[in-house]
Amino acid sequence: MEVSQIVFLILTVTLLGAAALVVTTKNLFHAALYLIVSFFSVAGMYVLLEAGFFAAAQLLVYIGAISILFIFAVMLTRGTALITPLNSQAGAVGVMSAIMFAILAVFLWPAPIRLQEVILGGFRLLRGGTYGGEPWQFVPNNADTAAVVNNATLRLGAALGDFAQYGALLLLSGALLLVGVIGSIWVARERKIADTRADRSEAAADARHEAQLESEAEAREAAALPAGAHAASVEGQH
Amino acid sequence: MRTDFAFVGVMLLVVFGAVAVVPVLNGLLGPKKPNAAKQATYECGMETVGDAWVQFRVQYYLFALIFVLFDVGGVLLFPFALAYNGVAIWSVLVVMLFAGTLLAGLFYAWRKGVLTWD
Amino acid sequence: MDAIFDSINNLVKIIGDAIAGLVGSLLPHPISDIVVMALGTLAIFIVVLTLCAGLTYLERKLVARIQDRIGPNMAGPKGLLLPIADAIKLFTKELTTPAAADKWVYNLAPIIVMVFAVLTYAVVPFAPDVIGTNLNIGVFYIIAIGSASTIAILMAGWGSRNKFSLLGAFRTVAQLIGYEVPMLLNLIPIIMLTGSMSLVDIVERQWNTGVPFLIYFPLSALCFLISGLAETGRSPVDLLEAESEIVAGFHVEYSGMKFGLIMIGEYANSLAIAVVFVSLFLGGYRGPILPPYLWLLIKTLLVFFGFMWLRGTLPRVRIDQLLNMNWKFLVPISVVHILLIMFEGKLFVTDPARIAATGGILVPVLLQAVIMGGTSIGLLLGGLLLAGRSVRGERLQHDADMTARRTANQKAAMALVK
Repeated sequence: MEVSQIVFLILTVTLLGAAALVVTTKNLFHAALYLIVSFFSVAGMYVLLEAGFFAAAQLLVYIGAISILFIFAVMLTRGTALITPLNSQAGAVGVMSAIMFAILAVFLWPAPIRLQEVILGGFRLLRGGTYGGEPWQFVPNNADTAAVVNNATLRLGAALGDFAQYGALLLLSGALLLVGVIGSIWVARERKIADTRADRSEAAADARHEAQLESEAEAREAAALPAGAHAASVEGQH
Repeated sequence: MRTDFAFVGVMLLVVFGAVAVVPVLNGLLGPKKPNAAKQATYECGMETVGDAWVQFRVQYYLFALIFVLFDVGGVLLFPFALAYNGVAIWSVLVVMLFAGTLLAGLFYAWRKGVLTWD
Repeated sequence: MDAIFDSINNLVKIIGDAIAGLVGSLLPHPISDIVVMALGTLAIFIVVLTLCAGLTYLERKLVARIQDRIGPNMAGPKGLLLPIADAIKLFTKELTTPAAADKWVYNLAPIIVMVFAVLTYAVVPFAPDVIGTNLNIGVFYIIAIGSASTIAILMAGWGSRNKFSLLGAFRTVAQLIGYEVPMLLNLIPIIMLTGSMSLVDIVERQWNTGVPFLIYFPLSALCFLISGLAETGRSPVDLLEAESEIVAGFHVEYSGMKFGLIMIGEYANSLAIAVVFVSLFLGGYRGPILPPYLWLLIKTLLVFFGFMWLRGTLPRVRIDQLLNMNWKFLVPISVVHILLIMFEGKLFVTDPARIAATGGILVPVLLQAVIMGGTSIGLLLGGLLLAGRSVRGERLQHDADMTARRTANQKAAMALVK
């Protein structure tokens, strides 16, 4: 068994285990941490697929930005009361997930490979055998894949700028990011007191209450003032 | 490339093992006299008031959001920087427009007062 | 004579090759590779740790001298055994774990801080063939590792179950993620000119053209330096760990060697920033006469001396000043710098073959460097001028507000007296 197969096995077990723990653990912060472990495993798989740039991008964006955003959002909405009970709709959710998985599998299955070949090939893999007559590799070590692998990031960069390939999509994704930022800022804006109808009526009631209190306070003051001071204030008013 | 990253994998494991030894060693070498006062949560020498609840402001989330904008933007700019030498001037203009979009997001947040205080 | 010279120059490589050959002859093929890599890792780890330990002593001495006092001189002759004394002290302290702490998260956090700090050194070239691994995404990998290490801070802050450390962790993370943006934006001009993200290629290009990138992009160098300082939490931006701020921040519940790990992790991070800065902007291990590893050591120590100088001289910056400087000054100026350099790089080209392909004006390398450097400096000065003007406007406004409030208060006081 090759080293890469062992590494792949370890990464798979880590990924599936961490993903299972994310949905079953009761502590939300731990769930976020298990999610981060699963992101690390995915980055490892990108490395096995000879896509080093995407492994580092996974670390940078998912673990460095999105996980932190996730944790901040959890803290913002739940505080530190992070113990949550298990979802009571787990059964229905399980059935729906299985249906969605079946639909996706039917539509996304790569055409030339049949399901039983993959399963049988997988077992053969575990025993260190071959697949389709040649030793199985993640990315075959021949001439055409070598050229792609060595230049992949460069070609991606050139394609990102080229309007004929991905340039328009680049601008679109920039616009999408902009829209996301603007939307979030709008949603999180500070509202003035009387922004909604209920708030407005409440604000009016508050104002009336305050006016009433003020008039009461003035009346008390006027009654409590000694005559001299009252005369002085009357004089001051002239 | 897999063999390049193999060093990183080995380094991760070896350094993790080497560093994990340190607190264990400290636990063996140090005294162990726990008492209630030492193990209580630290609050400037007073008794703690309430659970560890923190007034979490929404500014933290908004800063992280602007960071995500520039993070993803940077990740998209890096491959273009790699391919910069062999690329024509209109590609440069397209990417300049993209970078301008990022800057526009920052200026919007600036004007809306999102970037004030922590 | 030449052979002796060559062997001194390549000393590290010769030793490394000898050990690799020895292990390769003893063990079968895949295992020997792994063992050699593990030995290389241990070598890097030990060198980094020793350097960091020495630097703690140097820093305290230097800061003391700047502050007109002597500094540590009790532990051994002239205090040279200070790192060992510190290590013994930290190892023999009691590990007081708070009762409410989340055991796994609390204990894992310092280890992860240290691991990520050391992981950066895997792609740094120490000498022409002496490098952990020459990843073709070298600088991007460094940025990614730095970004992933912010999770360890959150783990430390949350694992302590202490509202002060949680608050400290949030502010630390807000600072760290903020300053990652200028770091990654300022690497882009270098990658544009080099055509590769590998640190070895960047160092070699600086040597081949004879012009270090400091002359091409002084703005990038300055912004990278400031961001690097803020990323690792050194003074004057050391809000993360200052003893008088928010009760020492996110590591208040850590004692003994766990605290020691976080501190050494910070030094290792700072040293990593210094070494990467040297490789990117100052020409790395290349230099005229001395062997490469010596050049790298000298340049890194010079940059780190600059760090220590800043720590001893400047007062601490407030968190809102910190974040303002980042988002309102560093990020916009970095993006505008990238746009200008992108434009100029296509306009002023040094390679005649490329003129035929994509067009442009042919200039010698030095002129291109001077033009780009000039743009950089011009942009920096313009940005500083703008920032100064806006800050002046704010300060005048603030003064006017204070005066108005003072006169209003005086008037109210006079009215009461009457």
